[in-house]
Amino acid sequence: MTEAREMLRVEKVSSGYGHVGVLEGVSIHVMHGEVVTLIGSNGAGKSTLLKTVAGVLSPTGGSVVFDGRDISGITPEKAVEAGLALVPEGRRLFGSMSVGENLELGAYARRRSRSFSSEFAEDLEIVHELFPVLGERVDQSAATLSGGEQQMLAIARALMSRPRLLLLDEPSLGLAPKVISEIFAILDRLRSRGVTILLVEQDASVALRHADRGYVLRTGRVELEGTASELLANDDVRMIYLGSWKKSVSGT
Amino acid sequence: MRSSGYKRFVWWLVASVAVMCVPFLTDNGFMLKILAKDVGTNALVVLGLALLFGYGGQVSLGHAAFIGIGAYTSALVTMRFELPWLAGVAAAALVSAAGGALLALPSLRLRGHYLAMATLGFGEIMHIVFREATPLTGGFDGLRGIPSVAIGGFVFKSPESIYWLVWGIVLVALLLAYNVVALRPGRAMRALHGSELGSQACGVDTVRVKVQVFVVSAALAGIAGSLYAHVARFISPEIFTLHRSVILLSMAVLGGTSSLAGPIVAAVGLSILKYVDSFVPGMPDAASTFLQDWELDIYGLTIIVVMLFAPGGIGGAFRSLRQRFRKKAAPDPEGEGVSAA
Repeated sequence: MTEAREMLRVEKVSSGYGHVGVLEGVSIHVMHGEVVTLIGSNGAGKSTLLKTVAGVLSPTGGSVVFDGRDISGITPEKAVEAGLALVPEGRRLFGSMSVGENLELGAYARRRSRSFSSEFAEDLEIVHELFPVLGERVDQSAATLSGGEQQMLAIARALMSRPRLLLLDEPSLGLAPKVISEIFAILDRLRSRGVTILLVEQDASVALRHADRGYVLRTGRVELEGTASELLANDDVRMIYLGSWKKSVSGT
Repeated sequence: MRSSGYKRFVWWLVASVAVMCVPFLTDNGFMLKILAKDVGTNALVVLGLALLFGYGGQVSLGHAAFIGIGAYTSALVTMRFELPWLAGVAAAALVSAAGGALLALPSLRLRGHYLAMATLGFGEIMHIVFREATPLTGGFDGLRGIPSVAIGGFVFKSPESIYWLVWGIVLVALLLAYNVVALRPGRAMRALHGSELGSQACGVDTVRVKVQVFVVSAALAGIAGSLYAHVARFISPEIFTLHRSVILLSMAVLGGTSSLAGPIVAAVGLSILKYVDSFVPGMPDAASTFLQDWELDIYGLTIIVVMLFAPGGIGGAFRSLRQRFRKKAAPDPEGEGVSAA
């Protein structure tokens, strides 16, 4: 029933920073319950697209439709209220605050909801079950966590807003391969719980192995799209994005 | 969190007692008056600028205009309408805050550094208004015979009472600022301080927080302006110039982004420079003349040196000294977000 419904449609979106255009007419869509990945090299516009969907950037053209509602140019706080949660590149945690306070801020957008305190407790339980290590470190300041733990906290913080669509920007950034696979194991669990995810990732191989579908972005345009297995089998993708993925992991 | 807040309160108390004891150590009324009228009011403005800079990530090049708005408003309310000073200072805070909101709302809605530019223009415009709106402001000649600060029947006339009044307000404002920043209502501000993108991702209305902080900083400047007007009892446009705005901003920068006490220390240090001869009695004339003549260059140089060698400013230097002292290798928790890059 809900499986086939469209959750996000990005239609011919152009966007960028100030007068510097990055995206030129990008169209993608995400269905309910899907994990969709955006791959491509540095500067292709992957993060720009996520930030535009999350309202951090305003599109200069085209439209963003979320659950049937046009949200083009929405403010970031309205986007969170609408059910979009961004896990920004580089985590962007609140370093001087404790793990618990970071999670509390994750639920900031819902603070006025009537059943907030009971929902908050529920969500906290879910998050602690998904990330047991965070439960052990509630009072520790976020700055003292390891890179992997910080990434987990960033994802957990986003989940605290009860998002319907999780926007994940480069979750593998700066992490060791073993930690990366831990993070993606968690994404698989989220996926099996029916969380819809739009994932930006430089590590195309890992991303495609954990996604349903993918788009290849190149210099601000969609160059290729297909199911994850199609893209994994595509010669161009293999040569350009999979052949060199080991090298690109260390870059930002 | 609670224990560090408690510790901070104890520090505030110790510092407050020390500051309030100064009048017992000297009978130099001229110096006390300068410490109140010039140094103390600057400290109050710089506290607001430090909140704006440290927590809102914004700079203002026009805060002298808000001091001026407060000063003229308070003078007019007490002189024309013959209302008590408390009404004057309340009007000063309100009108300055309203001016701040009018300026910040449109310029902060835009993405980019529009607020700094807007404040620069606003400062210049207000300077001209102070100069040209003669029926209200007295034009070039300014306003004379502004009544002294009086609360109830008590008139603040003696240098000691003026000192205690001004610094009492500065210290209370500092305590309030600490509480706003540390407690629950300030968590959106602290989040913004930690990482702007992170706080946006959490649904914090960053524009609103910035506007609020700007309005608070404008109100503090308005209160400072009222205090100045009723202590100096004379105001003129040349007191509220771009030059003053830049000096105030540099005090906030020198004080550091991660501290509120640091900027106040910086405000005191740099404000005293101009009056160094009356504060250091044995100082040779040549030395004090040199310091006064080169006042602006010393500001500039200090800022360059601070930016190069101690980007955390005075607050940051305190922090790292304390950490070195404890030999605790805790990472600086006030760094811009926690990022992997």
